[in-house]
This record gives sequence, C-alpha cells and structure tokens, in this order.
Amino acid sequence: MTELPVKESSGSKKNSVLVLGAGIAGIQASLDLAEMGVAVHLIEETPTIGGRMPQLDKTFPTNDCSMCILAPKMSECVRHPLITLHIMSNLKEISGTPGDFTCRVIERAKYVDPVKCVSCGLCEEKCPVKIEDEFDVGLRKTKAISRYFLQSIPSEYTINKEHCLYLTKGVCKLCEKVCPTGAINYEDTDREIELNVGAVILATGIDPFDPIGFGQFGYHRYSNVVTSLEFERMLSASGPYGGHIEKASDGKPPKRLAFIQCVGSRDESIDRNYCSSACCMFAIKQSIIAKEHSKELEATIFYMDIRAFGKDFDKYYDKAENQYGVQFKRSKIADIKELPDGSLELKYTFENGDIQHETFDMVVLSIGLQPRMGSRELSEDLDIRLNRFGFCKSDTFHPLKTSREGVFVCGAMNSPKDIPESVVSASGAVAGAVSLLELERYDPSVSEEEEEKEKDVTGERPRVGVFVCHCGINIAGVVDVKNVAEFAKGLQNVEHSEDVMYACSTDCLETIKQRIEEHDLNRVVVAACTPRTHEPLFRDTISEAGLNPYLFEMANIRDQCSWAHMNEPEMATEKSKDLVEMGVGKARGLVPLSRLPIDIDPEALIVGGGLSGMTAALAIGDAGHDVYLIEREDVLGGNMRDIFFNFSGSDPQEFLAETIEKVENHDRIRVLLDSTIEDITGFVGNFRTVFKNVAGELEELTHGAVIVATGGNEHETSEYLYGSSSRIVTQKEFERMLHEGKFPAGKLREVVMVQCVGSREEGRMYCSRICCSKAVKNALELRKRKARANIYFAYRDIRTYGFAEEYYSELRDGGALFFRYTLENKPKVEKIRPDDPDSRIRVTVFDPVLEKDVVIDADLLVLATAIDAPEQNLELAKMLKVPLNSDGLFLEAHVKLRPVDFATEGIFVCGLAHCPKDMSESLAQAKAAGSRALTFLKKKSILAEGTIAEVRTDRCSGCGYCEEVCAYTAIEIDPEECVAVINDALCKGCGACVASCRCGALDLRGFTNQQLFSVFDSLEIEASEGI
Amino acid sequence: MSEWQPRILAILCNWCSYAGADLAGVSRMQYPPNIRVVRVPCSGRVDPLFIMKSLQSGFDGVLVSGCHPGDCHYISGNYIARRKFAVLKPLLEFIGIEPNRIQFSWISAGEGERFATVVTKITEDIRKLGPSTRLVKKL
Amino acid sequence: MSMVNNLRKTIKELLAEKKIDLFIVWEKGSLPLSATPLFITSEDEADRAVFDITCGNNLSVYFTKDRKQFSDKKVGIAVKGCDARSVVLNILEKQIDRRNVVITGVPCHGVLDKKKVLDKTDGREVLEMIDDGDTVTLKGKGYELSFDRSEILSSSCLACIYPDAQECDIFIGDARAEIPNENRLKEIKEFEALSSSERWANTRAEYEKCIRCYACRNVCPSCYCNVCFVDQNDPGWIGNTCEFTDSMIFHIIRNLHVAGRCVECGACERACPMDINLLQLNRKVAMEVKDRFGDIAGLDINGKPAMADFREDEKQDFIMG
Repeated sequence: MTELPVKESSGSKKNSVLVLGAGIAGIQASLDLAEMGVAVHLIEETPTIGGRMPQLDKTFPTNDCSMCILAPKMSECVRHPLITLHIMSNLKEISGTPGDFTCRVIERAKYVDPVKCVSCGLCEEKCPVKIEDEFDVGLRKTKAISRYFLQSIPSEYTINKEHCLYLTKGVCKLCEKVCPTGAINYEDTDREIELNVGAVILATGIDPFDPIGFGQFGYHRYSNVVTSLEFERMLSASGPYGGHIEKASDGKPPKRLAFIQCVGSRDESIDRNYCSSACCMFAIKQSIIAKEHSKELEATIFYMDIRAFGKDFDKYYDKAENQYGVQFKRSKIADIKELPDGSLELKYTFENGDIQHETFDMVVLSIGLQPRMGSRELSEDLDIRLNRFGFCKSDTFHPLKTSREGVFVCGAMNSPKDIPESVVSASGAVAGAVSLLELERYDPSVSEEEEEKEKDVTGERPRVGVFVCHCGINIAGVVDVKNVAEFAKGLQNVEHSEDVMYACSTDCLETIKQRIEEHDLNRVVVAACTPRTHEPLFRDTISEAGLNPYLFEMANIRDQCSWAHMNEPEMATEKSKDLVEMGVGKARGLVPLSRLPIDIDPEALIVGGGLSGMTAALAIGDAGHDVYLIEREDVLGGNMRDIFFNFSGSDPQEFLAETIEKVENHDRIRVLLDSTIEDITGFVGNFRTVFKNVAGELEELTHGAVIVATGGNEHETSEYLYGSSSRIVTQKEFERMLHEGKFPAGKLREVVMVQCVGSREEGRMYCSRICCSKAVKNALELRKRKARANIYFAYRDIRTYGFAEEYYSELRDGGALFFRYTLENKPKVEKIRPDDPDSRIRVTVFDPVLEKDVVIDADLLVLATAIDAPEQNLELAKMLKVPLNSDGLFLEAHVKLRPVDFATEGIFVCGLAHCPKDMSESLAQAKAAGSRALTFLKKKSILAEGTIAEVRTDRCSGCGYCEEVCAYTAIEIDPEECVAVINDALCKGCGACVASCRCGALDLRGFTNQQLFSVFDSLEIEASEGI
Repeated sequence: MSEWQPRILAILCNWCSYAGADLAGVSRMQYPPNIRVVRVPCSGRVDPLFIMKSLQSGFDGVLVSGCHPGDCHYISGNYIARRKFAVLKPLLEFIGIEPNRIQFSWISAGEGERFATVVTKITEDIRKLGPSTRLVKKL
Repeated sequence: MSMVNNLRKTIKELLAEKKIDLFIVWEKGSLPLSATPLFITSEDEADRAVFDITCGNNLSVYFTKDRKQFSDKKVGIAVKGCDARSVVLNILEKQIDRRNVVITGVPCHGVLDKKKVLDKTDGREVLEMIDDGDTVTLKGKGYELSFDRSEILSSSCLACIYPDAQECDIFIGDARAEIPNENRLKEIKEFEALSSSERWANTRAEYEKCIRCYACRNVCPSCYCNVCFVDQNDPGWIGNTCEFTDSMIFHIIRNLHVAGRCVECGACERACPMDINLLQLNRKVAMEVKDRFGDIAGLDINGKPAMADFREDEKQDFIMG
C-alpha cells in the first residue's frame, strides 16, 4: 500500500499542490486533486469556503437551489483528510521551479480559536458593533464578530479586527465574557507559513462590476435601482428579506421590474469591451424567479443581444418569454429618472430610432464580471501576466496555463465564466498540475489490521449509550438536558446515559470512548446538534473505540429543537425526549456496515480521436496510465482539421500537428484508428470493450474508465439554396477557402454571412455557440485578404461572448454591416442566373433600422450552419447506459456541478459530444474529463458506500421497477435468474429502488425498513395515550 | 400537560429539507414543537407504507418533504417520490381521510423560513382537525 | 359460432406451423356458467376452446404466478381487452418476453359476475344459459328468467373502455379501439361528491367486511410477488389481523401496488366473498394515474410502467405551496 501524504505535514513537493481561492473552482480543483491522492493546501481570503455561489439563490437554466447543490461539496472539501484549509489567508509569493515551488502564505489572525469555538453565536448576539454585511452586499448588518454567512464552512466565528472595539480601542471584551468555551483570543497574530508544493492553481474568481462610479443609471442615487447581485440576495430565501422582493423606497413589492443588461460589459468607454457571458442568463433567471414569487409582477429585459449560448440556454430563454411572459426589448437606455413616488421612468430607443418612455417600480442593473480587486498586486506578487482587461492571461491552446510555468488558472479568473465552465476549468487545471507531480496509485481501503481492531457485535443484544449535549446554553438554556438524559436511562436497551457540556469537545469525545469501554456499549446515540455537520466526527470517535462507525445515531435537539422552540422549554424538553427515543429506536436496529473495496483497472478508453479525445488521452497518459484512443475514421484530428485561424493569430494546424505527434508517439497511448466499438459492458473500474479493429477483427479491452469524446457534425442544410451554387458555402468551407486562397472566380466584393442556419429553431432549439465568433473571425481574415470586400451579416443575436466581443467591435468598426432578422422574416436568397452553378446570389434581408428590405447581389454567401450531435451517439449511449438530451447531446450528471461526469460512475464526457463549444473550451473540458477519470484511476480500489441497497433474491420477482428508477444504473435484472442485482460500486444509497419495490425484496442499509419502522413505532404506545 | 397537543411526524430528505430545518434553527426561526423529524437520504426512500404505519400508530399528521424538482441530490429521487404521493394523497382523501393530515412539500437547504412556515401551517391545520381517529389502531 | 371456430382454426394453425408450443385458452367448465383454463399443445385439443360470457378468467396470470413453467416456451394466449393489458404489463415487467408470446385477441362483450346471477336466481342452480347478445335467458329446474345482459355483467365490464386487445398479434374478427363509456367514472364522481366523513363512513362500512382471505390478491393478474408484503414478517409491514385499520391499510397498500398496473379486469371483486366494492379504489387510482401521468395500465407496449417513470413537469397540485 502506498503511503498517503499526511495532512499535518506541509506535504512534499512531489505530491502536493496549492490552490488559491475556495470558490466553486477552487473547491472542485481541491477535491479532484485530493481524490487522486494529492495533498492540497487550499488558501482562501475570506473566513469561509464557497466563493460566490452561496450568494446565489437559484442557478440557470435548471433553477437549482445554489446552496443545496454546493453545500455537500463544501462539507466534502472541509472534511477531506488530504485538504488543508487555510482561511483568511493570502498567497504572497511563489519561488522555485515547476515541480518544486515554495509558497509564502500569510494566515491572518482570527482571534477565535477554531478548536474551542462551538459556533453557538452568543458572541455575535452580544457584540455591540454593527457593520455592513459583505455577504449580503450591505443589505443587512452583521457584527464585528460573526460568521461570514449562516451556512459558512468552517462554521467557527472570526473577529473583524478593523471593527472590533477591543482590538481598535481596547475596550469591550463582551465576546470573551460570554464565550462559554473560552475561544476568544485577542492575542492572536498573523502567521507566515511556507508551503512546498509541486504546482499552483489559481482560482481567485471575479468581482461584480461596481456601478457606483458609473453614474448613468442612478445607482445609489435612486433607491429602487439595485444591482443584480443585490437583487439575487433579495430573491434568496435565506437572504436579508427572506426571499421577499421589496422596494427600498417603501418596503412594498414591486409590480413592474426592469432589467438593464450589459452594465459594465461590452463598453469600450469604460475599458470593458468584453462580454461578461453570464449576465443575460442571470437576468432571465431572475426574471423567471421573480415571476414565480409573484404572478402579477411584470418583468422587462432591456438588451443589445441575448446571449443564451450555453447548453439548453435558449430553451430557458424561450420559456421566460413564452411561458412566463417576460418582455424582451432590444433597445438602448437613454435616460433614467426617479419620480416622486420612488418609481423610475426609463427612456429608451429602439433600433429604428423610436423613443419610448416607460415607468418601473424597480430597476435591476445586470452588472458584469470584472477582475477581482487586488488582482494586479497579486499578479505582481506571483509574477504572472494579465490581459488588457486585467484578467489573468492565458492563450487559446493553453486556456488553463498562466504565463508562469507550473502555475495554472481556473474559474473566472482568466475570463468570465458561469458555474459549470468554472467547474470544468478547475478539473482541467488539475490535469496540468498533476503532470508536474510524481503520483502513485494508492489504496484507500481499510487495512486488514484496522478491520481486525473492530469489535464484533453480531449476535449481541443492543447496549446503547446515550449522550445528551448541553451545547453550553444553546440546548440547556431551553431544554432540561438532565431530565432528557435521565429519561433515556429508562428506555429499552439503554445501558448508559449522561449529559455532557459539549459533546464535540475533545475531552467529551474521550469520555464517549471511555464509556464504550466501561459499559461495553455497542450502539451510541448523541443528542446534540445536526448529523449533517457532526455525524462524521462522532462516527470517527466510536470507530477509535473499536465500534463500527455505522453503529451511531444522532438526535438533533439543538438546530431542530432548542433553537426553534426557545419560548416553549417544556414542550422542547418533551420533544427532545421523543427525538432521543426515536434515536434509540433506530440505534437498536443498527448493524455494522462495511465499505467494500472495488478494484479499479488503471487504463482508460477514450471514444473519439478529435481534439478533445486526444487532449484527454494526453492528460491521462501523462499521468502514467495506459490509454486506448479509439477513432472511427482513419485519421486523428476530427473537426479541428477544418480550423485554420483563431483570434490570437496562432496557428491551429500547427497546434493540431503537435498534438497528433504527441499522441502518436506517446508510450502510454494506443491509437486505434478505423475502429468501431461493438459492445461495452461492466462498471466503474471494470469495463470491458469489444471493438472491430482496422483489420475487421474483434478485439477486447479492459479498462477502468471511459471518456466520451465523439464530437459533433456540421449540420447539412438545404436552406438558402445551399448546394446549388459554388458561391454558397458553409463557414467551414469558407475557412478552408480563406486558408487555401481559392475563391470563386471573379472579384469578391460583396460577401453575405447568414447566421443561425439550422440553429435556434424548431428541430434544433439550441444555439451552436461558436458560429458568431467563427463568422467574425473569418470575416476579419477575409478583410486581411480582400480589403475592399463589403461584408454583411444577417443575424439574430450576435453572441461573441467573452473576449471575442472585441473582435466583433473591430469588424463592426471596420464597416461590416449587420442586419438583425427574425424567424418570421428570414433572409431570402435567389440565384441571379438560376441555371448557372456559379451564379451570383441575390440576398434580400429586412433592415430593422431603416425598416425596409435591403438587396445585396453577393459574390459569396456564407452560411453559419448548426452543430449537430452525431447519430452514432444514440448507439454509444445505449451501450454505456448513459442518457442523451432531447437534442441528442450527451447529458451530464448535473449541469452545474458535474459537467463532465455521467451519473454512472467512471464514464465522462467532453467536447462537442457534450454541447457545442470552441477549441479552448474543448481543451479545458477534455483535460477536465481526464482529471475526473484520474480521480478513479489513481486508486487501486474504490470503496463502495456503506449505506447501499441490498436484495433478498428469494423475494424478488424481477419486475424491473428498481432498474427503471435507479438514476445511477446500479441495478440490473439478471435475465437468467430474473432477479435484481445491485452493483455496490454504483449504488449511491438513495433508496428510490427500495421504496419502489412492492415485494419487499430490496432494503437500504443504514435506513432499513426495520430500522425506520422502529423509529415510527418507538412513539406508538405513548402516542395512543396522548401527550 | 392537559391540553391536547398534536403529534406530527416529518420525514425529511437529508440534503434539502433536513438542511432547511437546520437552517430554520440556525436562524432561530420559531415554529410549533409538535413535529418529530425522521431523516432519510432522499424523499425517494419514502414508502407510502411509512405514512400509513405512522397514522396507524397514532400520529395526528405526517409531512414528507424533499428537494425541489431539479434539486435532488440523487438526480431524480424526488420525482419518483412525487408519483407515489400524487397517487397516495388523492386516494386517502377519497376514502375519507382528512386532507390536511398528510402533506407533502419541497423545501430547499436555503429555505429555513419556508420550513418554519410549512410546519406552522401543518400544525395549525391539524390542531383544527383534532386528534386523528380514522386510521388509528386501537390497542 | 364463427368467432369460436375462427379461434380454434387459428390455434390449430399456430400449432401446425410450430409458431407456438402451447396455447392458453378457455374451455367449458364442469359446472354451469363456468369456464376453465385450457392448455393446448396439440391441434386435436383445439376444438375444446371456447370464448363466451363465462370466460372471466384472466389467463395471463399463468405468465406470472406459474412463470417457471412457461419461461422457455412459445405461448399463444387468448385475451380479452383487459387480459391483453395484463399481458403487455407482464412484458413491461419482464415476466415474459414479447418474442415468446402470440397475443390472440378475442372480441369481448363483457363477462358475467356469478354473484349477480345468483342474486337473479335466488341461489337456484342454473342448467342452461342463452346469451343472444342483448338478453340473457337463464333456465333451471322450474324457472326461466330473461333480462338485459348488463344486469349480470361484471361491474368492471360495465365501465370498460377497452373491450378488445389494443396490442395483439392476431385478432379474431375486428378489434375495436377505445369505446366511449359514460359509466366509466360515474361511480367515482358520485362518491367524490360526498363529504369527507360520509366517504369515510362508506369506506369503513365496506372494508370492515374484509376477512383477510386474500382472494382478491390471489386472483389478481398484477399480484405476483413471491411473498406478499402482508405475509412478510422480517420486518412485519402491517398486522395481519381483521382489525379494521390493519385490513384497510392492507387494501390501501394493495391499491398503491397496483397503481398504473391495475387493468380493471374486476377479478378481485368477482372473487371477493364479502362483496366488497374493491374496484372502486383501484379505479380511483387508475383515474389519478391517467390524469396526472397520462398512463393507462398495459396500453403502451413501448412505454414504461407509470410508477417506474416520471416527467419533470408533472402536475404537483398536492404539494404544499
């Protein structure tokens, strides 16, 4: 067994990485690294991990609750034995060379001992200093001693030294007086530490644009003008207004809401000529959520282009418009005026010049994303370069590398990104970081030695120990804790019961271990706070005392009792007794569970030899694992073979050739050209694939993971007379034409580009994402070659998101003409000489500015055709038992937080197979898929969950309902025996199958029917007597 | 205590509704102390029989709560659960069980206030109905 | 008798062409008004096959309750509309392979409920029955009674909308698609109009009669668990006494277990010795399943069973706001 790096040590350069910034990107990067066996130092400036996501109420386009999806990742991160968290810390310097860096980190004083703090909140209650709450963007007050937000992780309190009366003026000390555990330490000082690591990942994120200095929209002058972030906090159920939207002017809910887009984005005048990429969707989401809050509310979005370019974004846009009745007005805001009643009059102009006035109750400024404050200093400290907007600089073909070798970047730090893109880039950056480390495969399973240490309790009658926690006065101030502990003594099977001051304190944990020994306890119940935070701690404790960790149960008498019934002490005490009784009822039936190891094959199979497939192969191959790269065609490169230019000027073909060479000569990568997959069976760590090789023979491979990188196809259109003239080409064909310099005969003066051919309409209700940028890119290339060519665009929305915006401006400023068309009024195309295959093309397009048709006799018509999912996806999806969405694209496990995983473990997706994306995005996602696969492949075995489903085959009739309801393909009906078989490696323990089994053949370990029945029944007798 | 107090069972999913209940406490939101919470991994784990057994053993009401549609930690467990409840609730009402005794809700990890509101509402509704009699097994 | 002749001819052909190993159909029972299952393996037995108003048995039960016997055989089966839905359900529930079954539809005009006949004759033995399609005439020692056919039909048939197989390989005659039937939900709607306590009083009166004989379960084509939940004691799911709540909860859970699976064949009700109106709750559940999920049990061979499926945008009016 390979030795794991120990958390306490600062780690060795060979197997440790520093991650700066604990937002979603930093968390994801840390978790991926830690799962590969890398020791991680996670450095975070604020007192909590989580970053921007906890500030969000919901996330687009699924309206998932942001905190619901993030919280499990946060606790996983903080609990991971290989992740050392340094909160309130800053990275000051990186010295050394890639693979051997020394990082200087300043840990700022917290003034509260995190070991002693029990997060009871008495200090905050008593603290006399009210300050503006940063988390709630000033909409609420907090104290000088506080938690960053209610669900902060870590949950301990910290003192804000700028505002603390004692630290600033030497008076007060109230917190010290009320702290029941003596956790306050005014003598705390900043510490400097040095960390030796192999690589660094930067993930410091972004700041929202601050419109205060901007003036134009009356922000801060008019009380009902708010930023989108402020509005988000208003929408949040845990926000300052409890999820009620209120106008600051009178506290009433607004009836008419306006969103102004591109505030701080796409604005040359304030040096922000880039698109923040997320604000359109953010505003659409907010308008939908606001309308869900109040049906009468009217919402209008004022925009330039709606940039709903991501996966399923256009459907969301469509839903907002057609289902929720959100108004979209393409216009420019000319003026905003506050009326005496606090409402706001907007003056805006449409593209045809019409001016309108309209009054709203509240105006939301859709503020853009900008580099984080202090990023310039950081870049100097760390010696990394920034781009001209102040974002961390990276290039098209190395989107996750900074200018400094060995230092990687992810999240929105180097370009505006939404959540899934941040997660993708985080996993992707990890691939770069691990390539600098020396990692060996490790075995996370419990050693036999440890297993033997565990007491065998089978056959013993339950001997339950109950520990009732005072939590200082948090519980004992309301609940009669002694009475509850006394009551527990009388319960069946309770061998020992006592009340304790702080169950989670080190000395009490020792007490619990002693009592297990003294009373030969074989089940433990702790009545204290919530199992969501404390169950792992107590499980570890009883495990140290030789009990199986699953022989533990918690009764939540604080968060769900004393805190919620502060004025009803008697009832709260009664409730606590019931909760303890229910806990004992459950505990009585608990049985030891083990997490069975599942061996993992170290190889990976990658389906598809395009840019994504090759990149993923390199990520895994470079980490020392064998890779099978299978490609249907007889050549590597996929769609990239047709890409010749990119904005930055570097040569895609050169990069492609380098990549192919690397792949072909890599001693870990076996390239299988001209090969097709016939069958894939098995599960995570244990896949078996049969394929037909170039000679037409069947070959078999075994591997631990699968990456789907099957790419996409250019849509074959029959619209706009495509195919009938040499002068009508697709953007792909045009790019080759530009590259080869082979243009249609004669002069090339008039060139028309039609966007969204096949995209964003019936049959393909999605944006193909890259066509706008591609068309702009090719138009600029055309300019270079034919300076006199006139370029016309027929478009619906120009979606040059991110830094591509600059090139769009360049093209526009250079005189290209843009005509916006609608689905009802598409451009009309005819051949001037219908029978001539080389005829020039007459394009008629309606100009909404002049409000009349414009006729262009074009020398060339270039169609931006959609990206289609290959039909073969369906077959592969069936073999892998993974889903496709309605557009035939592979459907990831979770659109926000698991963007490259499938719900079925061990299978990943990247590139166009997931959804349309550009080269940089494909590269990042391919690396991410490689990383995610490595989180499995780096382990010799993985541990199945302890709480998983099990089958009693004698009861099973094989009806298959369990198989259908399982989201993880963890159950199959054995066709021979006609009974359900559970794959322990895949089961996540949700229990949906169990509740769907009529026959009682399934049960869920840890939450068995018997255990739950005894919880319901534990109150039966009493209940029938009445309380 | 002489006055009758309703006793209500709440079966909450671990990831959203249980977290929402915790948040209600952390935020010190006050709600009636009549509920007894049982934690399950997912609302999809809830067998309708749990509800029937609870009513039979004398609970005056039962609340089952999970993640909002789309939020399920286990991808689709709440949808699977929803179908069961969508049939169970009308069936129980049809045979004459008072509608307010059995309730289903979606409460997210961020909705502490919603949890408090839902619990308050259920408790008040059941208080109005009085003690459950219809499916209670008389010992 | 041309329909029955055609049926016999079809069975013979299927056997002769070796398309099947076995055909399951009805034959005349030894008692009057009864039909019993007939398993035909050779052509000469085919002339014993019958189909008439007495053929209430849903023969698909053999696919589930006697599964092992048929698992590797090619089986032809005669089905009424409801029986065909059971067969489809069995296929969806992996109890039988679609490729191994030749579904042979017969035109159904309802089957009789013997309890209703006994009511008509006051328990006197029936020696002969003539069914002319509209009127049924019963003859016995010293009596002859004629009445409208509907008076002795099973209540399931009176509310039937799919009398003929919607999924079948062969149909004897012309199969009808869904037929209108204004009776279908009449009883449900009337019951729903009562107050909650009236409904409870009715339900209680009805289900207090239950003697836990499990005839309903045993005859149900959708009940095929190896061990029914009520018979399990590890853990014990529900008391197996005749105490009212135990019985009621048994029935409620059974209703839920057949949600999206009950084909409303009425076998349970015809089998119930206590004359409990069992179909009512099953039909209520079927109505909810149809309204909410758009599913009708056993109708769509390409679908999924309703309770093993979901749609994200389903109606959720019952969720607290």
